[in-house]
Amino acid sequence: MTEALLQQLLNGLSIGFGYALIALGLTLAFGVLHIINFGHGEVVMLGALTVVMAGKLGLPYLAAVPLAMLVGLLVGWVFDALAVSPLLRRPEGRTDILLTTFAVGVLFNQAVLSVWGPAPARVDGLQGRLEIAGVGLTSQRLFVIVASIAALAALDLLARRTRFGVEMRALAQSEHAARVVGIAVRSVGTRAFLLAAAVAGLGGALLAPITSYSPMLGQAVLIKAFVIVVLGGLGSAVGAVTCALAVGVIEAMLGLVMEEGLAAACVYSLMLLVLLVRPQGLAGAPR
Amino acid sequence: MKTLVRDLAIGLALAALLPSVLSSSYLLDVAAYAAVLAIFVLAVSVTFGQLGYVSFGHAAFLGLGAYTVGVLVAQAGWNYWATVPLALLPGLVLGALLGAVSARLSGAYFAIATLVVAEILVLVVVNWVDLTRGPMGLMVTTPPLPGANAVGWNAQQGYLFAVGAALALMLVLLRNLRASSTGRGWTAIREAPALAESLGIATARSRVLNIAISGAVASLAGALLIPKVMVLSPSLLGVTYSATGILGVILGGKATLLGPVLGGALFAVIPEGLRFLGDLNFAAFALMLLVVVRVLPGGLVGWLATRPPVARWVASREQRGADSLPEPARIAARPHAGATLLDVSHVSRHFKGLKAVQDVSFSVRAGEIVGLIGPNGAGKTTLLSMLSGFLPVSTGSIRALGQDIAGLPAHRVARLGVVRSFQQTALCAGQSVATNMAIASHLHRPPGFFGGLLRTRTWRARERERQAHALGCLDEVGLLPRQGDLAGSLPYGEQKLLGVAMALAAQPQVLLLDEPAAGLNQVEAARLAQVLSGLRDKGMTLVVVDHNLKMLMSFVDRVVVLHHGVKIADGAPQEVTRRPEVVEAYLGRAQQDRPEEVTP
Repeated sequence: MTEALLQQLLNGLSIGFGYALIALGLTLAFGVLHIINFGHGEVVMLGALTVVMAGKLGLPYLAAVPLAMLVGLLVGWVFDALAVSPLLRRPEGRTDILLTTFAVGVLFNQAVLSVWGPAPARVDGLQGRLEIAGVGLTSQRLFVIVASIAALAALDLLARRTRFGVEMRALAQSEHAARVVGIAVRSVGTRAFLLAAAVAGLGGALLAPITSYSPMLGQAVLIKAFVIVVLGGLGSAVGAVTCALAVGVIEAMLGLVMEEGLAAACVYSLMLLVLLVRPQGLAGAPR
Repeated sequence: MKTLVRDLAIGLALAALLPSVLSSSYLLDVAAYAAVLAIFVLAVSVTFGQLGYVSFGHAAFLGLGAYTVGVLVAQAGWNYWATVPLALLPGLVLGALLGAVSARLSGAYFAIATLVVAEILVLVVVNWVDLTRGPMGLMVTTPPLPGANAVGWNAQQGYLFAVGAALALMLVLLRNLRASSTGRGWTAIREAPALAESLGIATARSRVLNIAISGAVASLAGALLIPKVMVLSPSLLGVTYSATGILGVILGGKATLLGPVLGGALFAVIPEGLRFLGDLNFAAFALMLLVVVRVLPGGLVGWLATRPPVARWVASREQRGADSLPEPARIAARPHAGATLLDVSHVSRHFKGLKAVQDVSFSVRAGEIVGLIGPNGAGKTTLLSMLSGFLPVSTGSIRALGQDIAGLPAHRVARLGVVRSFQQTALCAGQSVATNMAIASHLHRPPGFFGGLLRTRTWRARERERQAHALGCLDEVGLLPRQGDLAGSLPYGEQKLLGVAMALAAQPQVLLLDEPAAGLNQVEAARLAQVLSGLRDKGMTLVVVDHNLKMLMSFVDRVVVLHHGVKIADGAPQEVTRRPEVVEAYLGRAQQDRPEEVTP
């Protein structure tokens, strides 16, 4: 029994780290630009698709992962050019961006469907498996954990130590003040959005071997990411990462006692409950 | 009530016309589907158009209504037509829940919550197979509309009449709501939430009500969809219907009542035209959404209409002539002459480490004009925000008209009679001056929701009183001739005056003005001083924060001076300005000039 629990804990954690990257992208765009990318899930899907295609072309998985980040970046650029930057200046632009990002996301999704069809695909990640005291961990899951921690550490360093990171945090606090002190608000915002998309692409590439790829994966991932960022407090990076790990583990544990669909419904309902009693999120400070 | 009956009769006649002239089974089918989608899109437009909240999951309400009625009919054997009206209820409840979850937060949270709720319902429907038959779908057979046979209609014609009548009923009721205080409140909340709260509008509760109404109507649309689809499947709750709702509103134009009806109806017709696209149907939707939002933000109707609708009050106002305003309506009577209206006792406010206001005490008596002055950063606006309930005090207490306001939301403080204006102009820029005044008169003769919905005789009488009151307040600041203009198009000084008039219309016992003269030129400032003096002569109690000391000193009875959050003086203007600590606060230690002589 303990072994089964430990096993699910490890499985949940590895998935949770993947969620963390995806949710971080969402919360980053919200924190810096105060926008929500309703096409974020499709960026993740395209990251996963990249490793699928790379595998078909004979590219090793490890080489495909950075490629997925690059694809995420490019897709992010398309999103920004079509659905974000032109609308930021409008009075009700941030509401319109909900709609335009949703529309561009659907367009990407439909394009993938019409070119590669609706069939799901398995992705061969890293092979091999570790076994310690009866609890197993595949190399792929271990890789997800290590790569995510590395990416999170790199992002933390970026936010704290680089000029871009400082500018980004200034923008997150107050666009007006950032502009006053001479920060190129638009350019910093766009770069933050691209960074968020690249991280989402990475998340898709890391999770694909575990959850397998499907063109409909974007929608499911988006909802999960929303639940995580709302639980953690929109805009809070620490909240997003902690709650991503928590959601991964809770899902895995609930999976022991109920069907997957019902487990998901429970986690989603948790979000509504948190909104009702603690709207600033579990990690956010009261406003 | 009489107009309601008349409008409904017209609606029913129109609903009966179509089935009587159409006989083609195909056209009847398309027309009925168009009417159902029109109701659904109308429901989406209540939150999206009126409140400015985007929903990505309105299909949740649609599916909930359809499944509630479907299960009752198919599993419990209820009569379909008797069950349809019950569909309003689950939508109302789910809407209220969604509202409660997101009303205190921004629209972004609402968008997320709707998507998540729709997903939860999909999971429930798919997994609760005993009740819903899950992905296999629930077959629901519906009898013909009772009585349809008697007038010679077949089942399809009866169905079309029923959905047409439902659409007419929803249209009339929602039109009434939009024109009532409830609808004006939604407009104010959408365009200027803080202003709405300051005028006594309970913004959180209004939002919950709005979302609940929208949910009920969408749920009704779902129930009415059953005869068309016959088999209920989880796709009813899916993103396609939700997207149809949004796109219908956007195509039709979110600011109008009829636009969404047109947009919804289009969606029954467009897919027929787009059938050649096959699976790319949804891509075409998305492309349209992107293009319309980018190119035609006002929607089709907004694009076709050459000018925005003007508030109805303007016409009736001109008929009446400018002098017929009843004098008592101009300013609310103030009963407590000489009584203490505001009692501030040892109030402090800290923002983390910063002590913005420290241990300040003073009181304001009825009929007094108190100036609240101090250098930049002295804590004046913070204090004003606490007095009006916009900020909680850290320690100390504030009593307004004898009641402790601790824990009261700002709109309750406004109801007590303490109304504030804002430093930056706050108004509904996209609305006419008259509409702004109508919004501001929310507290005058408090409105009933059902009175406005049904346009009862009492409601109309109160609406006339409200109009006279609001126009009287507008006259008070000399803006009566401007009432047909767009508020956002007024020059800056007049926008500030409009702000004062709106605060007045909320019937304050105490009016708190936050830098009313900031940014005004000399002429405008003189006009404002004249208005404020006029208010004083009529016995209004005022607390004014301003930097224009020359203007302020010309009409205040007393000044309270703040410096670094601490009260350093309280007394008559001439006496206070001679005090060394006040001079020092403004000018530094060495100088001897009086502050009013150095103000630009």
